[in-house]
Amino acid sequence: MHPDPTTLKASSVIAIEAGNLTKIYRDGIRAVNDVSFSVKQGEIFGLLGPNGAGKTTTMKMIVTLAKATSGTLNVFGINVFKSPETVREMLGYVPQSISVDTDLTAYENLLIFAKLSYVDKKERNERIKNALEYMDLTGRANDLVKRYSGGMMRRLEIAQALVNLPKILLLDEPSIGLDPSSKKQVWKRIKQLNQDFGITILITTHDMGEADELCDRIAIMSEGKIAILGSPTDLKKDVGGDIVTVNFVSSCPTISFPKEIGKIIHNNEKSIQILTTNGEEAIPLIADFFRSHEIRVESISINKANLDDVFMKYAKRRLEDGLYKDIRKTRRDFVRYSR
Amino acid sequence: MNFLRFIMSSITVAEMEARKIRHDSTELWTRIIQPALWLLVFGETFNTIRAMPSGSFSYIQFITPGILAQSVLFISIFYGITVVWEKDVGIITKLLSTPSPRSSIVLGKSLAASLRGVFQAIVIFALSLLIGVKIRLDPFDIVGVFAVVILFAMCFSSLSMLLASYMKTRDRMMGIGQALTMPLFFASNAIYPISVMPTWLKYISIANPLSYVVDAIRSMLLVGTYKNLPIDILALTVSTTLFLVLASRTIKKLLE
Ligand SMILES: Nc1ncnc2c1ncn2[C@@H]1O[C@H](COP(=O)(O)OP(=O)(O)OP(=O)(O)O)[C@@H](O)[C@H]1O
Ligand SMILES: [Mg+2]
Repeated sequence: MHPDPTTLKASSVIAIEAGNLTKIYRDGIRAVNDVSFSVKQGEIFGLLGPNGAGKTTTMKMIVTLAKATSGTLNVFGINVFKSPETVREMLGYVPQSISVDTDLTAYENLLIFAKLSYVDKKERNERIKNALEYMDLTGRANDLVKRYSGGMMRRLEIAQALVNLPKILLLDEPSIGLDPSSKKQVWKRIKQLNQDFGITILITTHDMGEADELCDRIAIMSEGKIAILGSPTDLKKDVGGDIVTVNFVSSCPTISFPKEIGKIIHNNEKSIQILTTNGEEAIPLIADFFRSHEIRVESISINKANLDDVFMKYAKRRLEDGLYKDIRKTRRDFVRYSR
Repeated sequence: MNFLRFIMSSITVAEMEARKIRHDSTELWTRIIQPALWLLVFGETFNTIRAMPSGSFSYIQFITPGILAQSVLFISIFYGITVVWEKDVGIITKLLSTPSPRSSIVLGKSLAASLRGVFQAIVIFALSLLIGVKIRLDPFDIVGVFAVVILFAMCFSSLSMLLASYMKTRDRMMGIGQALTMPLFFASNAIYPISVMPTWLKYISIANPLSYVVDAIRSMLLVGTYKNLPIDILALTVSTTLFLVLASRTIKKLLE
């Protein structure tokens, strides 16, 4: 599903480099606490974390909208604190909350923004046209933005961040408030931007599906610190793997299960749970195994490890809302077993 | 910082305002009601009862520059509210995330305020001509009046932005604006000559920038002698520059 970041995106140029970055707000809140990470050119890097983790603050420091209390921050080797304007010239920024001017038309929003970004006059109209087309807004370009739906505004935001063809696109929760189909559309665009134009993308989100879908690497933040950083695949491995549950027609005799396929973490008379690194690949092996032992299998189900588990493990959040509770519980047991 | 880029960005920010006004100019017109009432009701009434010693000019002549200055003052001192509102809806965030220098954003916003000021001036000119106020229609003077209006609006709108960087909410800005405008207005030579004031008020009115603006406009529109004009304009230019520089430095605090 994912291109391997090491083969496709082999760039060794560092786009964003943060070293011991700290932001203490005036009231003493350590929003970002001694954070170091680097984003490679051409990758999609995700900042994940619960509300208040410091994602937006980190992004704002990069866009020079918030001043870091201490630490270092470079964008393509340029010191963000020393040359804020040069750095902003390389960035496109979509803030967390809507920030297009609703009293102007979409075209005007893009025009003003292009001018303020010093887009060459000769290229300006072409760029605006392309950005509108890219985000499917051409038909409504001359409508006042206040007559737009939330999703359209969101798309306009992204269009706006595109007119200056940034080297780095910073998206703060880009799919917030979008319906599932618009969300998919925006994801597609983001991926295209990354692939077609090689734009480096830094994205923040709470949506693990989104992170899994888009990001080459993610950092999970919690209380101002990066709890863990890695590719989605690695992080998922970290919380275990996929659980394959096999239900038997009649009670199963005690058997020894080959380690290469997986590890049994739970079993009772009529079912067995196996921890595997890749559930899909393990299923046929498991089926063959039981067939060869003449044990009749009624059903096989798979519970894939996902980023929610990673998130829950590292975000230090005891969410009691129960949405993923069951899965999590199994997973936690599972992790405990597999240690 | 590239000077040409700086100017271009400022003009773009003002253009943004102009485009908004083009889409919806309601506010512009409602802003006219107050000065129009001052001129038509207050001015006309006091003109007939001749209660004010307005020198060699009729009272309505005397008051016209005052009303003009006052209406520009109102617009520019409350301009910070607009900027706070724009911060609340994310527009300032967007502007400050562009490569344009922050000082150009502030300068652009103050130009936007003067755009509104110029509109007021035009309407007040038209009104006073309509009701037959005798003003000097020397083109040179008219240009001078507009220049003063522009400077004045820039001066107080940048002061307003400077205050907004610290006040951060619309309510507080509303309070500050009200606390400032009325004293500035009544402790000035806008609607009565300094000579009729009690001594203590005279001192205040000498320190009041509005007095200098009214004086400058009056000298061009009525008197035709420019004795005080250089000082008036110098004082205005210095304070405008000061406020612009300060506001450029503080504007990012608005986001904190
Ligand atoms: N302007 C501010 N002044 C003071 N504290 C702030 C300010 N902005 C953010 N904070 C605090 O900093 C911490 C991090 O906030 P931040 O907005 O970076 O979180 P986030 O990870 O983006 O959260 P969310 O997912 O809710 O957007 C929070 O505790 C927040 O209350
Ligand atoms: Mg946030």
